[in-house]
Amino acid sequence: MRSHAGAPPSRRRFLALSAGGAMAGASALSGCAMQVSSGVSGSGETVTVMVNSGDILPEQVQQAKKDLGIKILLVKYDITKLIAMLTNGNPPDLVRGVGAVDAPFFAARDVAEELDSYFARSGVLKLDDLDPVNDLWRYDGRTQGKGPRYGMAKDFSQDSMYWYDTAAFDKGGADYPPETEPVTYEEWLDTAKRLVQRKKGQTTVFGGSYGGLTRSTLLATMTVSAGGSLFNDDFSRVDFTTPEARKALAWYIDYCRTKVGPSLIQPDPNGWDGPTYQAGRLAMSNSGYWMGGMIGTDRKLAAVSRLAPAPVFSGGPRISACQGGTGLWMPRGSKNKDAAWRVFEWFFGEEPAKARASGGWGIPTLKSMRSLMPAKEDYQKRVLKVQENELKHFSVVSFTPYSRADAVDALFNQIAPAAMNGQISVDTLAGRLNSAINEQLKRGKEQVG
Amino acid sequence: MTATSLPPKPAPPDVRVRIRAKRLALYTVLVSVTGLFLGPFGWLILSGLKTQGELAASPVHWLPRAFQWHNFADAFDQIDFLGYARNSLIIALLYATLVTLSSAWVGYGFARLDAPGKKWLFGVLLGSMMLPQMVTLLPTYLIFAKLGMVDTYWPWVLWGLSAAPYLVFLFRQFFASMPRELEEAAIVDGCGYAAIFWRIFLPQSWPVLSTSFIIAFTWTWGDYIAPQLLLSTDRTTLAVAVMTAYVSEAGTPVPELQAAASVMYVVPILLIFLVAQRGFVAGMSTSGLK
Repeated sequence: MRSHAGAPPSRRRFLALSAGGAMAGASALSGCAMQVSSGVSGSGETVTVMVNSGDILPEQVQQAKKDLGIKILLVKYDITKLIAMLTNGNPPDLVRGVGAVDAPFFAARDVAEELDSYFARSGVLKLDDLDPVNDLWRYDGRTQGKGPRYGMAKDFSQDSMYWYDTAAFDKGGADYPPETEPVTYEEWLDTAKRLVQRKKGQTTVFGGSYGGLTRSTLLATMTVSAGGSLFNDDFSRVDFTTPEARKALAWYIDYCRTKVGPSLIQPDPNGWDGPTYQAGRLAMSNSGYWMGGMIGTDRKLAAVSRLAPAPVFSGGPRISACQGGTGLWMPRGSKNKDAAWRVFEWFFGEEPAKARASGGWGIPTLKSMRSLMPAKEDYQKRVLKVQENELKHFSVVSFTPYSRADAVDALFNQIAPAAMNGQISVDTLAGRLNSAINEQLKRGKEQVG
Repeated sequence: MTATSLPPKPAPPDVRVRIRAKRLALYTVLVSVTGLFLGPFGWLILSGLKTQGELAASPVHWLPRAFQWHNFADAFDQIDFLGYARNSLIIALLYATLVTLSSAWVGYGFARLDAPGKKWLFGVLLGSMMLPQMVTLLPTYLIFAKLGMVDTYWPWVLWGLSAAPYLVFLFRQFFASMPRELEEAAIVDGCGYAAIFWRIFLPQSWPVLSTSFIIAFTWTWGDYIAPQLLLSTDRTTLAVAVMTAYVSEAGTPVPELQAAASVMYVVPILLIFLVAQRGFVAGMSTSGLK
């Protein structure tokens, strides 16, 4: 090494100083760093739970420590982090998941623990007390809804139902939808077209929203509603060109093209229906029972809000699926399965479950907790009656294990706007979706083996 | 030169008008650009003072009917705001201090010492700036997990000690422009390279040191991905908490609290920049980067 000044270099000294500086820096700051980085386990057992904010509240963590003697370490749900943790062989003990789409995905990859033996010996979560929605968390290696259980839903809604604002209907001179019998999708869209309000080209009041939880679950559900199936028998391919899938796709594209509600080409800046509906800017909201939790906090809104059954296609079967079923599953690599199961029982069958059931933010997933659903006020009784009637039409719509729903949605979001803007036909769109999504599913199937 | 000087000759009226017009145009542009840049921040403050209904209203409510000052208190109370701010501060100070020193050290090497392959190494260093963070995300996690450093602040210490390519570049440019005579005089007086760096180069580098510190502090204060990946909910930073923790019991967002929290979140960065802006500008200009 030579310096610019031409003085003799000392590489050894330079390197030694560099290393020394690094060590000194680390030592000088280690007190600070270590103070905040102490181990995670306190007294008793520690269960790492990967959830979203609000799934388990800090006071519930404290309560669990007191009641169960288990320390719950919360980790924010993040799919990248989850994959990193699974790859590293040190996954969380319990993970948030959307039963409708995550159950087959993780079960097929053999990273989820079968929970049948745990359910069989549980005194809290009894099999005959489980609502059928928990079947979303079953997967037999081919079909969702059958086989071993891999998780459980914390609460649920039938996500094809919709709320409507009677004030908006009165203003638009439209008849209220019936509360026990479904309207057809075509009737729903006609009503939305009638109720939409625009000013200088801008939509000021949406006639209705119909986006489902994800586009893929929405279209899969609607295709079943039209009497068909979006997937083939082994769920390795989609086909949007079948008459039923095309009917569902054409309806959705028509909904977007006519701009009666939020969509990819006319997004709602609020990101979800709640604030828009509350502001009187949405006549019909495609949200299930769970949105009653928000509506119930606003007496004026509650007085004008009604819940309606899921629409049907003329001539198609009446089904009312759950597109979510969000809950928890246990990774097979969990290091603390017994303690994790105890937390699982507590979360789904004890205080947190009771609090959720009485909050009105979803239907409880244990039949024994139905009596806790809010039913004091007249509007609550009315909503509950509609919901109870709708439960008779619940069914599981199976999803593919070969791709995550958001990956399918990403492809849809790239391809579909051209059809929504009228640049390509629905048939062209169907063909392009088939090509792109089937390529994705093919790669997924190769990974699963 | 004469002992007396004549008073300045007044400019003719048309020149004065032209100067005024130019100045008016300049200020109009400056005020417009300032408004453009301040607009989003102003909108954020107003959003933090509205109700959720007003945020969703159409046509837009530019001003709240009644200022919801309690949103700021609620945002402060709903999460452990000070705790998360403390976590952010620890990480940001730790990283900014270490990376500034290590980058200066590496930059000094590249600027003042010769060795075979130096140019190639410098090219590799600059090339590493083009590597997207997403590419290294999973391997980074796996390395830190194997070392038992997940859910600790040690990764920021190691990152800090490893120098940052952009800051190395900044220091290298600055040190390369310093007069060689200083170094030669020091060598004649018996100084080694470490002493030259520590006693001569660093004390004269305050503009670039403060620039580096501000940049590194801002990076870390605003980073979402690394703390989200490596830290648990209790130990994470304010950036992650502000983005994720303001939700209702049902998990739906509470935008007015999020807006209020975001305002409080950017205040430290604004303060640091206001205090150190002179050094920041000087550092950028003297290192040949504009």
